[in-house]
Amino acid sequence: MNRFFKDLGKYWNYTFYSAKSQLKTEVANSYLNWAWWVIEPFCFMLIYAFIFGYLLSNRGPFFNCHIFIGLLIWDFFNRCVKSSVKMVKNNKSIVSKVYLPKYTLIISDMIVNGFKMLICLLISFGMLVAYRVPVDWHLIMIVPVLAVTILFTFGCCTILMHIGVFVTDMSNVINIVLRAVFYLTGIFYNIETALPEQYAKLLLTFNPLAALTTGMRHAMLAKSMPDWVTLGLWTVLSIILTAIGVHTIYKNENTYVKVI
Amino acid sequence: MDKIDNNQEYSITVKDLKVRYKSVSSYSIKKNLLRMKGAETKAFEAVRGVSFEVKKGEILGITGKNGSGKSTLLRAIAGIFSADEGSVDLHGHSISLLAIGVGFKSELTGRENIMLSGLLLGFTEAQVKEHMDEIIEFAGLGDFIDMPVRTYSSGMHSKLAFSITAVMETDIMLIDEVLSVGDEKFKKKSYEKMKSLISDKTRTVVIVSHNLKTLEELCDRVMWMHDGQIKKIGEPKEVLKEYREFMK
Repeated sequence: MNRFFKDLGKYWNYTFYSAKSQLKTEVANSYLNWAWWVIEPFCFMLIYAFIFGYLLSNRGPFFNCHIFIGLLIWDFFNRCVKSSVKMVKNNKSIVSKVYLPKYTLIISDMIVNGFKMLICLLISFGMLVAYRVPVDWHLIMIVPVLAVTILFTFGCCTILMHIGVFVTDMSNVINIVLRAVFYLTGIFYNIETALPEQYAKLLLTFNPLAALTTGMRHAMLAKSMPDWVTLGLWTVLSIILTAIGVHTIYKNENTYVKVI
Repeated sequence: MDKIDNNQEYSITVKDLKVRYKSVSSYSIKKNLLRMKGAETKAFEAVRGVSFEVKKGEILGITGKNGSGKSTLLRAIAGIFSADEGSVDLHGHSISLLAIGVGFKSELTGRENIMLSGLLLGFTEAQVKEHMDEIIEFAGLGDFIDMPVRTYSSGMHSKLAFSITAVMETDIMLIDEVLSVGDEKFKKKSYEKMKSLISDKTRTVVIVSHNLKTLEELCDRVMWMHDGQIKKIGEPKEVLKEYREFMK
């Protein structure tokens, strides 16, 4: 535990600089630069809004905002998890030349994706204004929700990174699982109203992403609190996940190089 | 006083080191389902019980035929591999490993990679910035320094890697087969740099090389590894003479 925070401080400079230059490179290497970070989720929002909102006329209040907020959380989680599975292999050239706590690779990647999420969050504030969504002080509740999102994502990533080193086709499995979770998270529909009550309750409790996106929407669109009990539950579970993940990485990280 | 001096005298203490490549092979779910049986694990011991000490300021050369465990040993000393048995003690010194194709992020520019490598070696951002110009000058890459590393030729790659480690001096330097990188001019420059490191009594260097002439000129002691064990360690002249005869 102590070692984790000590290493975190020691390698923070590296982690942060690595994320920063990664972002800079992404901007420099594409035509539309950082605009892609916005265009991509925005287009997905339009697609979902068209299919589910217009064709299937499954509209809720502020449906476009609803989708966009769901997507920004989902994209963050999805990107981090997907890359964590191949993290060690993709950084082979560094990992095999110098020691670093392997989870710094995850954190660096999370900063990159977190920055993109932040930009989407700013856009979503713009959308709140554009669509004249009434908001109040509940808006501040996105902070604890985002904090749990980050913690939960980190916990998942540490464990998946470890498994990903030893199981070569783990990324195939993860893609299937992620797709299932995506549909069960209610990005493009409203779990609370679209599903029978018992299923909705089940999903909102046991699918952390459903709980988190719904919490975000409560704060931003419905002027209400997130479900504190579920949020608390997932905070505790995330901490446990993280502890297990970090412990496993510390115990095994020096054998990673022998495998890849 | 005596005791402290004794502690400072050694930079690296390797005791009974064994490194195995076994039981940790990766497997795929598909393969295992098809075979329905656990993969048989092949144990391969790359380093088989090696013990030696390197004094502070000493230049140790390691040679031996391909696959004799030299690179594995270096990586174990650098802390990248875990030892399966035995121990490596660096007595609190900072260490860097320099090998062909050192860890660069190919999408980033040379300048950014210098910063990242420096930070990984344990220096602060300010310290790296301070040495940045010196590294760039030593590498002599010209305008390429602001281009992504993926555009570099393999020679430029190694030149940059060598320059970082040579300028950002750590207490212990592990050098794996890179003394012969680059063009004639750079070779000469890196050779000169190595010589100046030798005269620096606080710097400990371990060189792995097949170039026996270089080893003979640079090293205080030479270690000959064979099949993961030390065949002989001692005066460069004696060890290398025997090694030459053995390789005939």
